[in-house]
Amino acid sequence: MRVLIVGGGITGLRAALALSELDIETIIVEKSSEIGGKVIEYDKIFPDFRSGKKLVANLIESVGSMSNITVIKNSTVTDARKNNKIHIVSLSNNRVIEVDAIILACGFDVFDATRQPEYGYSVYPNVITSVELERFLDKEGPTKGNLIRSSDSKVAKRIAIIFCVGSRNAKLGNPYCSRICCSYSTKQAIEIRENDEEASVTCFYMDIRTYGRGFEEMYQYAQEIGVKYIRGRVSECSVLSNGDIQVRAENTLLGKPVQGIFDLVSLSVGMMPCADAGELAEIFGIERDNNGFFVSKDEDLFPHDTSKEGIFLAGSITGLKPIRDCLLDAASVGGRVAFYVKNLHKSG
Amino acid sequence: MANKENKKGDTTADLDYGWRFQGRPVLLHDDSSTIVDESSHLMQTALTQMSKEYFYVERCIQCGMCTETCPNTMLNMNGRFSPREFIQKLRLGLLDFSGEDLWFCTNCGGCTTVCPYEIPFIDVMIDLRNLVIEQGAGYLPPSMKSALASVANYQNPWMEDPDKRGDWIKKLNIPLLAKNNTNGVLLFAGCFPSYDERGKKIAQAAAQLLNKAGVEFDILAENEACCGDAVLRAGDYNTFEQVKKFNIESFKEREIKKIYTLSPHCFDVMKKHYFENNDDTFSVASFILLLHEIVTKHRLKINKTINKIVTFHDPCFLSKHNNIIEEPREILKCLPGIELREMEHSGAKSICCGGGGSGIWLDRKKGERLAEVRLEEALQTKADVLVTACPLCLSMLEDSARGDSRFERIEIMDICELVLKGV
Repeated sequence: MRVLIVGGGITGLRAALALSELDIETIIVEKSSEIGGKVIEYDKIFPDFRSGKKLVANLIESVGSMSNITVIKNSTVTDARKNNKIHIVSLSNNRVIEVDAIILACGFDVFDATRQPEYGYSVYPNVITSVELERFLDKEGPTKGNLIRSSDSKVAKRIAIIFCVGSRNAKLGNPYCSRICCSYSTKQAIEIRENDEEASVTCFYMDIRTYGRGFEEMYQYAQEIGVKYIRGRVSECSVLSNGDIQVRAENTLLGKPVQGIFDLVSLSVGMMPCADAGELAEIFGIERDNNGFFVSKDEDLFPHDTSKEGIFLAGSITGLKPIRDCLLDAASVGGRVAFYVKNLHKSG
Repeated sequence: MANKENKKGDTTADLDYGWRFQGRPVLLHDDSSTIVDESSHLMQTALTQMSKEYFYVERCIQCGMCTETCPNTMLNMNGRFSPREFIQKLRLGLLDFSGEDLWFCTNCGGCTTVCPYEIPFIDVMIDLRNLVIEQGAGYLPPSMKSALASVANYQNPWMEDPDKRGDWIKKLNIPLLAKNNTNGVLLFAGCFPSYDERGKKIAQAAAQLLNKAGVEFDILAENEACCGDAVLRAGDYNTFEQVKKFNIESFKEREIKKIYTLSPHCFDVMKKHYFENNDDTFSVASFILLLHEIVTKHRLKINKTINKIVTFHDPCFLSKHNNIIEEPREILKCLPGIELREMEHSGAKSICCGGGGSGIWLDRKKGERLAEVRLEEALQTKADVLVTACPLCLSMLEDSARGDSRFERIEIMDICELVLKGV
């Protein structure tokens, strides 16, 4: 009984643990040189502000201690075929493995902020993405948790956070809501205010969608500690001679234009299906929806099953999810796959 | 939009914004929760029946990017014009048509270029104006009213004699194509270059350039009518259909396949509303493209040095509506001695002169004119000449500059006139 997991992020790792506990051998294929995925970059995760790094470190440690989990790094799936009930999968380093089932857990990719040129990302050094802001806020990161802007090494005191960059934008082909940006941006705003009382944080939002347990409370708390929320989409960022960024938007609740000057502007980038999702979908013959997310056979009853027997889905591959939901999804796919694999061997 | 055939047909056919439910595009249903009272209900019904554009409005997420981009927000007006508010009031049935608000939009297209949900605000605007024109739902500025009546009766907005439309070319002694010759090109002058004393200079410069480059051309003269762009954008569909029919018949009679229009407005309206069904018969393009070809392929001998600093004002109907941004600049680069400086807003981010969307027929007070904002930007470049490629832009800019000591220093020219100086 052996299962292949494509993707070594939190979903892949958690799924491997779930299967391992049920005495099923798993192989994790990860395309990068390290497992742990994107969460390993995050110092604090919402809504409980626990360490994302520690969470992933725990997962990696548990995976390492399990003898029936194999990790193959720097490797991608190049081909897959099926012989009777056995999936024969070719990997990029000329390895061929035979498995009973496959879990696709390759997650998401972050929206490329240069596709919204009006915000000047990669042109103005003081316009950064939320992923970069996360590194700034990391106490063990390159700036030791200080917001030292790269243009002149000044500590940023006035910070703007622009929500919905690359989300809810039909023009860029992403009409959907990325679901977690409101919450992670609010978390970042709280961190900035808690680290530095003099710092001001202004959030330009469309609608605040803090839907999960504890998310809305986090949003209320942010407002209590003085994070400013302005309803309006920023139309343009421009740079001043001293490197400060001027932001223009309409305060749509007042119907008045607002213009602000900030030391640092963070773009809360949305998420998209991972870059190689198309390739994987083709290799395994699985349908994707209009936005590129994988489609399960039955979204309600069997959310992990695909139209192809023995191939399962987990995590953000079927739609964007917060970390908690990804872990939950991973644990649940474990049960489903274990049932499938055990049934296969009983009958086989 | 103004296309009646489309309107009568399936109104949901191309309402696709990328939302999918069970593989099908998600469409909207009549939502009565937005209805405030009986009168707004009536208005909503009227709008719903009028066009599919009304449905697009329901998609608006009120982000305010349109208002931020709208050139009207750059004016210091008390009750400023806000596309976002306009849409919100529209869907609540609270729009007030009794003021001038409806006529402030110049159809420049700034809002539609930034809108994340691609809401066709201009089309919505035109349909609302149609409500006023056809059903008397609100205030129609008197200047607009007389211009529309004039187009309907005289085929030009100033009650000029239609028979004198081709007079501008008479003094030039340029040989036109023989009447039976259907090769060559047709120069569609448009109203302003045909009648206005200043405008005629543009047409004459263009004709001289064509003549010097050895391009054989003809004009329609009295067989030409207003292209109807401003009429259509004022919401007067009937008059538009009338002039469209007149022009198409003239084109068919004259049988010249290639039409070049001096005004980007004529080009835009013809491309999008004249030949949508039988585009093989005639090809219409902006004169700037022909000029670009002539100049860059060295069919004109440009040997006089013009030592001037120039800045180029992008006409909205070239840049935002038709993505013709580089061509005029390439022409300017071919002129010896010219230094081109860009204004703060240029290309697709250019600011409207205020003349589009029938704004040319609206009397706006000094200090409330978009052209003044544009002229200020031009002054900041310290350019000697403000060059544009649209007769309406030229007219709007010159009208605002006239008698204002701030703008005395800057000369305003059409690109044809500037090129002619170099020949």
